[in-house]
Amino acid sequence: MKLTGNGTTPISEGSLPPPEGSKPLSGLLGGIAQAAYYGNADITEELLRGQLYPEAAPEEFRALRAKMGGLLQSIASADMDLNQLDAFLTAQTKKQGGITSDQAAVIAKFWKNHRMKIHESLINQSRWDNLLKNMNWRVDLKSQSRHIDQINTPVAIVEMELGKNGQESEFLCLEFDEAKLSQMLKKLSEIEDSMTLLTQTT
Amino acid sequence: MATVGQFVDIKWKLGVAMSSDTCRSLKYPYVTVTLKVADPSGQITDRSFEMTIPQFKNFFRQFKEMAAVLETV
Repeated sequence: MKLTGNGTTPISEGSLPPPEGSKPLSGLLGGIAQAAYYGNADITEELLRGQLYPEAAPEEFRALRAKMGGLLQSIASADMDLNQLDAFLTAQTKKQGGITSDQAAVIAKFWKNHRMKIHESLINQSRWDNLLKNMNWRVDLKSQSRHIDQINTPVAIVEMELGKNGQESEFLCLEFDEAKLSQMLKKLSEIEDSMTLLTQTT
Repeated sequence: MATVGQFVDIKWKLGVAMSSDTCRSLKYPYVTVTLKVADPSGQITDRSFEMTIPQFKNFFRQFKEMAAVLETV
């Protein structure tokens, strides 16, 4: 069944009527991202169809959603830069049953705006060990002996909140005197040097 | 649940997660740290956790601040 737009050029067979502007497709991509990357389980297919493509038949919408979801997944999985994205989308417009150049433009704009956030979300999905959720500290004066007048040693008391993503936290409270702090700083400095080496080689 | 103790030592590892089941091109650098902690009875336990690079930088900065304060007290 051939569908025509609002009096303009006919669209390829089986596609949905063109929405005014690119808003529905942009909205659809947003909805897909909400469900797939931002953990929003409330964004259902029915909700999206009703809000964005109310005129579309459920099967047609399902196909569109699946196609767009698949494209977004390919783009996100490869964390495509602009060159890769351009090549990828151009290839899609040339495919049988691919996308239109208008749709390619909408997808490109969406990815440019959401790339960082989606990538961060994917990184987060891969972090399943203990994370440092928060850290607080204070410096106390610790009395060494009650037999000798006021020998006070300053110590840093550090409280670290540790836990896995989405799980209850554990609190670790540590005491550091000046020597221990030096030891810690030395090791942290080693890590920093290592990081500099990393950014130079990757 | 809280653990109170004395800091004994720190072990560390810097890694880059290349891919995952949800992302072929992750390229995510991170630091894994294991703190050796002595509890009041003297028993040593390990506590490990992971930090992103920005988190690590903040972690380092805070320890520098602590050292600076300790010197002035």
